[in-house]
Amino acid sequence: MRLRDSLKISFTTLRTNKMRSALTMLGIIIGVGSVILMMSIGRSAQNLIIGQIQSLGSNSIYIEPGSFDPKGGFGMEMALEEMTIKTLKLKDMEAIEKDPLVDMAYPMVYGTARAVYQNNDEKITFIGTTPEAYVMDNWHAVAGRDINEEEVKSMARVATLGYKIAGDLFGEEDPIGKTIRIKKTSFKIIGVMEERGMEMFQNYDEYVYIPVTTAQKLLLGIDHLNAITVRAINEDVVDRLIENIRFILRDTHNIYNLEEDLSRDDFKVMSQVEASNMMAQVTGILTAFLSSIAAIALIVGGIGIMNIMLVSVTERTKEIGLRKAVGARNKDILNQFLLESITLTLIGGITGFVGGMSISFIIAIVLSSVLNISWGFAVPISAVVLAFGVAAIVGLVFGIYPAKKASKLNPIEALRHE
Amino acid sequence: MIVAENLRKEYSDDEVKTVALEGVSFNIEKGEFLAIMGPSGSGKSTLMHIMGFLDRPSSGVYKFENQGIEDLDDDQLAFVRNNKLGFIFQFFNLLPRTTVFENVRLPLAYTKISEEEKRQRVMKAIEAVGLSHRMKHLSNQLSGGEQQRVAIARAIVNDPSVIFADEPTGNLDSKSGQQIMEILQDLNEVGHTIILVTHEQYTAEMAKRIIKLKDGQIVSDERVADRKIAKNGLLK
Repeated sequence: MRLRDSLKISFTTLRTNKMRSALTMLGIIIGVGSVILMMSIGRSAQNLIIGQIQSLGSNSIYIEPGSFDPKGGFGMEMALEEMTIKTLKLKDMEAIEKDPLVDMAYPMVYGTARAVYQNNDEKITFIGTTPEAYVMDNWHAVAGRDINEEEVKSMARVATLGYKIAGDLFGEEDPIGKTIRIKKTSFKIIGVMEERGMEMFQNYDEYVYIPVTTAQKLLLGIDHLNAITVRAINEDVVDRLIENIRFILRDTHNIYNLEEDLSRDDFKVMSQVEASNMMAQVTGILTAFLSSIAAIALIVGGIGIMNIMLVSVTERTKEIGLRKAVGARNKDILNQFLLESITLTLIGGITGFVGGMSISFIIAIVLSSVLNISWGFAVPISAVVLAFGVAAIVGLVFGIYPAKKASKLNPIEALRHE
Repeated sequence: MIVAENLRKEYSDDEVKTVALEGVSFNIEKGEFLAIMGPSGSGKSTLMHIMGFLDRPSSGVYKFENQGIEDLDDDQLAFVRNNKLGFIFQFFNLLPRTTVFENVRLPLAYTKISEEEKRQRVMKAIEAVGLSHRMKHLSNQLSGGEQQRVAIARAIVNDPSVIFADEPTGNLDSKSGQQIMEILQDLNEVGHTIILVTHEQYTAEMAKRIIKLKDGQIVSDERVADRKIAKNGLLK
């Protein structure tokens, strides 16, 4: 039997049972749609995060407390380690800055607290750092000024406010020169930062920058750091500088590690390239996880297809008998029913694909225009191939049993069927 | 053309054995018009199914154009049904919600001839049963008699050597039934071998030969002495 004839029969059957076909397809539509959506969102998120890391410059190096996990895990253990290891200090940064390959560096400690101005009370994240942070991030106060070196040395109680937190606390008022209270300590507002928006899942407009020394002594009562960011004098020396930093830190931390076994260090040094690879891996795992949950819908859809095809075979027993009587071979009947289920899944697949893309596109528009995040619409080719491949395979796998059943019907029994 | 020797057919349903045919033998020559008669349960339908390559005998020899049924696999049987045999059923068995044209074209869907030739053959078959004006109608919009004529067109579209008709008038009023028999007699005149299964004596007498079955055995096999011609309006 020719493909054209089979296709014609398939479409005629699907058309005569419009409602049923549509409902059956719905499972596949939702399955394929959600897989496409998840993969598309995952890819967009990945692009965004990697783009942000890369925008910091490929000569950036990050230092964090904690040891390098050779298994490459990202579990609770690591997060806990980063919080409890207290060996990374300001003097480490000073030692690193002496290396001629270093252009600039800034430290970071952070914590959360409530900021109070008159009757307004807002939850904030405060970040203790140095003036270099403004320069290296290329992000400055648009009103007032950045924190300066003198204020860091003198442990001054000054702060620059993120754009959003300034609005939340002061409304229409001009915050410059006003005083807010953080953990019962008064801070003078010396600047309001340029609007920046969400980056790396963090809203920079909600941050309050204060001198690192003030944050350590007055707010947190600690003398260690959460991170150090270093900028090499150029891209080519990044790898050498990483080695130098490891050497310096082992020295200041008294770690005897001639074998360069990274798991024995109490710090991690990572280049911007490594950081973006790591984030790509994390988002990749997340995307795969979400997509596989979405794929369950596809399987359920496939069961729906099988169910309806079995009903169809029973309903059309007489037709099958007739077709066999006039010369259809078992193979012809098998192919016809298979083609019908594949047609169902493919139409469902295309609809789901368009639907998933549309939703992803709308999300991209909403995030980028309404929430001001530089979220680009992206659909990986692998998602397209996967969605259609899986839809066709689902049609084939779940269609084969009903089709086999149809092809094996005895023509006489089938003709007698009422 | 058709040789049947000692055909037996047994069914076993839930270990209860039913014998439908108990050793049936006969020959049919090309161009014959044979009626198979018998009360229900006599095995006439089973015999027709075996002759029509829709079923296999339990034992015995059945040959169609010198091809034994035991030598052919299911696909080959399908090929013979498609190319050499035509079927007409009591309940027409047309595809519902499908045009007359598409219904008649059905057997050609399983052949490898050109689209144009398929179209020509379908038109010719529809014309032969006098339904050219109904070509685009859906099968369920037709009267019973017209539906059976569509079924005949479908049976002859492959220009078969044998046409099997299983109680073709059983579900029709006498006038429509007469038209159907007229067409069958005409088809026989132009060379098609016709095998008609019926339980009505007056329908059977329009054939040239009658085989009577009872309890799976042939009780008589004789020429029709006074053959009735449908054109003469005997059924009115």
